[in-house]
Amino acid sequence: MTMTLDFAILPRFADALALGLWTTLKLTALCIILGVGLGFLIGLARSSRSALIRAIAGTFVEFFRGTPVLIQLFWIFFCLPLILGVELSNFVSATIALTLYMGAISSETFRSSLKAVGAEQMDACIALGLPRRAQILNVILPQAVLRAIPTLLSNCISLFKESALVSAVGMADLMFIGQNISNNTARPVEVLTAVALIYFTIAFPLTRAVTLIEKRMLRKLAA
Amino acid sequence: MDYILDLGAVTRNMDQLWQGLGVTLLLTLAANAIGIVAGFGLALLVLNRLAIIRIPAMLFVEFFRCTPALIQIVWFFYCVPMLFNVFLDPITMGILALGLNLTAFNAEAYRAAIQGVPREHLDAGIALGLSPAQRILNIVLPQALRNSVPVLLTNGIGIFQQSALVAIVGVADLMYQGKTLATETYRPIETFTVVALIYLAISFPVSQFVGWLERRRGYAVR
Amino acid sequence: MTAPIASAPLLCIRDLHKSYGEHIKVLQGLNIEMKPGERVVVIGPSGGGKSTLLRVVMGLEQIQAGSVSLGGKPYIDARGRKTVIDTELRRKIGMVFQHYTLFPHLSIMENLVLAPRKVNAESRASATERGRKILDRFGLAAKADAYPSQLSGGQKQRVAIARALMLDPQLMLFDEVTSALDPELVAEVEAVILQLAEQGMPMMMVTHDMWFARNVASRVIFCAGGVVVEDGPPEQVLGHPREERTREFINRVFHIKT
Repeated sequence: MTMTLDFAILPRFADALALGLWTTLKLTALCIILGVGLGFLIGLARSSRSALIRAIAGTFVEFFRGTPVLIQLFWIFFCLPLILGVELSNFVSATIALTLYMGAISSETFRSSLKAVGAEQMDACIALGLPRRAQILNVILPQAVLRAIPTLLSNCISLFKESALVSAVGMADLMFIGQNISNNTARPVEVLTAVALIYFTIAFPLTRAVTLIEKRMLRKLAA
Repeated sequence: MDYILDLGAVTRNMDQLWQGLGVTLLLTLAANAIGIVAGFGLALLVLNRLAIIRIPAMLFVEFFRCTPALIQIVWFFYCVPMLFNVFLDPITMGILALGLNLTAFNAEAYRAAIQGVPREHLDAGIALGLSPAQRILNIVLPQALRNSVPVLLTNGIGIFQQSALVAIVGVADLMYQGKTLATETYRPIETFTVVALIYLAISFPVSQFVGWLERRRGYAVR
Repeated sequence: MTAPIASAPLLCIRDLHKSYGEHIKVLQGLNIEMKPGERVVVIGPSGGGKSTLLRVVMGLEQIQAGSVSLGGKPYIDARGRKTVIDTELRRKIGMVFQHYTLFPHLSIMENLVLAPRKVNAESRASATERGRKILDRFGLAAKADAYPSQLSGGQKQRVAIARALMLDPQLMLFDEVTSALDPELVAEVEAVILQLAEQGMPMMMVTHDMWFARNVASRVIFCAGGVVVEDGPPEQVLGHPREERTREFINRVFHIKT
């Protein structure tokens, strides 16, 4: 079997791929916003004084980190409508699944960055007589959030990559459109390689940026 | 809600799920065998002084880390047969695709662990008159390997979860059997819940073990 | 009921007992009375409870027994298993730590004005104005808008002192404030403390620097095994100690140090 590669077919599909990418980016952005908010709340819940709240939040996180995202997505797409008795579009299912995923991994980020703010900072707060509210709002939380930023950014990149899964429930993201073109043209090498490169072109510079930001942040907070 | 739960549909067909789990575990273990060994070799290439060796190795790592695992798997299943004219059974293909992905992630873990060995330890090795090979073998590697264990385990359990993706290209793993069963029995809630719990039952103990390992190491360092 | 009289102690530490777990007893019935205007330097072997003493006085530690009063009013009291702390009174004490503990996410000026604004509800403008004066006095005026990570250790420690002074403390605690510094940066921090001493600021300090102790102290306390072993003017405790244990310690320290 001989095959010749013909990358010249790609420009014809540029518009379709761009549309898919746009969907991927929109979905990712939406789930980042919702997921980071959710993650922050779960992170706080996991540091709560009530053992019950801690246990519920902990179980939630372990469940979502301990199972494949694909099955979470399928569960929401196929099962949730049966339970709720309403149709869920693949967009809604995808948004719920990816938001829960982002929330679960980001809650861990918030929790560990809260822990990383040292006991000495707390001593300083007490020595200055800061009220409890100011200790939390002005000293502990801002540092925790700054510490969390690099990891949150890499969570965003993970989410961007995981979002390719939504093609499995028929949402027309970059992955889905790429696979369709690949099947219709019978040119998987050219099309799938192009799709992979598009993902790479976005994710790679971001990972570099995260490394730089992380170094700067750690230097700043080391004081 | 009109849906009435009936676990019988699942319990009657557990054999099918166990079969799928067998495939999933095979994929996971084989991919880990590849990833743990090849990842170390790749890390050494990434740390090589020669740019001509280092840069391709880094590109390999970054490519796998910066693209969705799904496209890697789909690409592998569609393109490798076409490009290289090799036709392997789906499970072997799955093992190779997951193994390559894990190789890249583990290479990064090894690299970080090797570079994480404090410079002072190497200086101390020089001061004690150890040869370069002795310094690598006796000072760098023992520490680096020990420090990389938690990340290797985390990556290993990650690939266990990512292995569910091969269901999309038709490998009959746990995910695939679950999806088939859910469709055949019209019992998605029971089936997908049971499948999810099976994944959790395996991931959870390992992730707890990693957490324990890291805490213990954290104390040991201090 | 009782109006504070001139000779009343500024700080009164009574029968402090502090242990970690069952076996590690750090303070074992420690008593100190400190008059207004005194500058007390606490010296002693490591593990002798010096730093713990300062942390207890600041209200950072739970104690098993004892009490601490400021100006005749108790503000730390061991009652049963709980340590009761009067946070209003505690605020009149300032403390500087070995590792600076500046807030890394805030600029120098923000570090200074945070507590006055939050504790005393002082306006930002007024707090900033006072902050500038203190920074100016410490030769740090140019650093007001810098962040802690941009400062040297000596500068950070001077900022930490300035930050504590913003609350007009009646007593300053210095816990090994020069121990983490490079040797060439020690002098600038000690100069600031001496400046405060000259202005009559009461202070209690733990230090390993015996020369500085002699310069700054009006009184030296030798602490070992969780109790006060010797207590007197610096010439006595550092120069002609009466207790055998003090003598041993002083000899050892001066032989190593010089």
